[in-house]
Amino acid sequence: MNEPESDSGPIVWASIIAVTCLLLLAFQKILFLVVPFLVALMLYYILYPLVQRLVLAGMSRGTAASLVTLVFLLLVVLCGYLMLPWITLHLIDWQIAVERYLQGGVSLLERSLAGLEERYGMLQRARLAVMVGQRLNDFTSSFAEHYVAPIALGIAGWTPSLLLAPFLSFFFLRDGHHFHTFLVGAVPNAFFERTLYLMSEVDQAARAYFLGLIKLTVLDTATLAIGLWLLGMPAPLGLGLLAAVLAWVPYVGSILGGLLVVLVAATDFPTEPAMAAWVAGLFILVRLLDDFLYMPLTIGKSLNMHPLVAVLMIFAGGAVAGISGLMLALPVLGVVMVVCEAIGAVVTDSRLMARYWHGRALRKAQASADL
Amino acid sequence: MFGLFRRKKDTPRTERLRALSLFVNLTPGELKIVDGLLHERIFLKDEVIFDKGDEGQAIYIIIDGSVLICPQGKPVDGQVIELGPGTFFGDLALLDNSVRSAQARAAMNTTVAVFFRADFMGLLETHWVIASKISLQLARHIGMRLRDTHNVVNRDQHL
Repeated sequence: MNEPESDSGPIVWASIIAVTCLLLLAFQKILFLVVPFLVALMLYYILYPLVQRLVLAGMSRGTAASLVTLVFLLLVVLCGYLMLPWITLHLIDWQIAVERYLQGGVSLLERSLAGLEERYGMLQRARLAVMVGQRLNDFTSSFAEHYVAPIALGIAGWTPSLLLAPFLSFFFLRDGHHFHTFLVGAVPNAFFERTLYLMSEVDQAARAYFLGLIKLTVLDTATLAIGLWLLGMPAPLGLGLLAAVLAWVPYVGSILGGLLVVLVAATDFPTEPAMAAWVAGLFILVRLLDDFLYMPLTIGKSLNMHPLVAVLMIFAGGAVAGISGLMLALPVLGVVMVVCEAIGAVVTDSRLMARYWHGRALRKAQASADL
Repeated sequence: MFGLFRRKKDTPRTERLRALSLFVNLTPGELKIVDGLLHERIFLKDEVIFDKGDEGQAIYIIIDGSVLICPQGKPVDGQVIELGPGTFFGDLALLDNSVRSAQARAAMNTTVAVFFRADFMGLLETHWVIASKISLQLARHIGMRLRDTHNVVNRDQHL
């Protein structure tokens, strides 16, 4: 009689898009809470199977959650402790490298523009190369004094907020089930089974998305690192990881990652323009692998939405809430889509509504039976 | 933490769960896991639990009270089965998401534990020992029902 899946009408879809945009706008204002919440959610999905194993072994949920979180924190602290001397040792080298690659990028752009000017007289008359070069030089020469300090301060500012993540994930692990039961307990009997089904859909979509994202990052990093290593690029693993993490921003991130590595290739191999072309080719190959092999294997159809809607929503998210909007658009849209479709399906199901009113009438009659 | 090596005892709630035929083979630790997955609901007399044709997503285990399994909207007609505490219904939903074949209504104020199919599927992946014990009980129950139906058909043919 009742089918859990139904086609969403235009009103439901308009609501989905409006709610997603509003949430993205709100999330931008509380980004210091949203980012640790998302990191905590990722940690929760990674650590949850371990907690379940310990609970099965006879441990209480609270103890299991505490133990797993503690071991995870100890590992993070240990990694930090081991890596700190290495980071401080290379900090100055990295600063020099950033400036060098920026200069390399400027030279590449200047060379490209000069090439274009040679071909097209109109650009030569506009003195495009000189003008752009001058502006970029101004930017790169003052980059360190104007931008390094704010970036460092920004990282320092985010640290306390990110420290919230393991704290939040501990409570998700310990009390997540109570929250779920509490939430389901508030649903009237008539909608109960349908709501349980939809909540599990949301949970599965979120789990598939976050775990898939981690697997995709590992696969992308490995492929890019091997490819860059074969091409003879410096620091292939670091560059691969950076590009794979940038790819978390859908569509736009992949382009940014590709540009970054092409910049490194152009700087380190200024006399070999073919290297930049090879690197660009590698990125196109990884992009194709992502679309046709890695994504179906990892994230798959966890979000189950039309590519056109996804791309439009990403740009709408970017317009509404900047970089955070770009990054959060798809997961937020995925969750809002399931929730709005669920509410739409329940509210428009006349039989479920009739059962709900019947149940309410029975409760009212029972409460007033002896009055 | 040292409780890890201590054998868990039944709590009153897990004792009550163990009395249900579906969970009769589970250890206290396993019952605790399953208990965390069950949702308790109270239905008033005459309240519909599910309709014929609904997509089945969960199995219902009667803790207290009784439930009528009847043709859609006909709780007083001939083909009515009344189930009591400890029994369960809607069990095929645990195996696939086929539609409900009859209506379920509370015959009196009834408390049920609801075991959701997605949670059972999760158990199959993470705690396959528990899932296989429940599956065995479920198979026994379905087998018994099949035998009963077979006996009824044979008896009718002899008459």
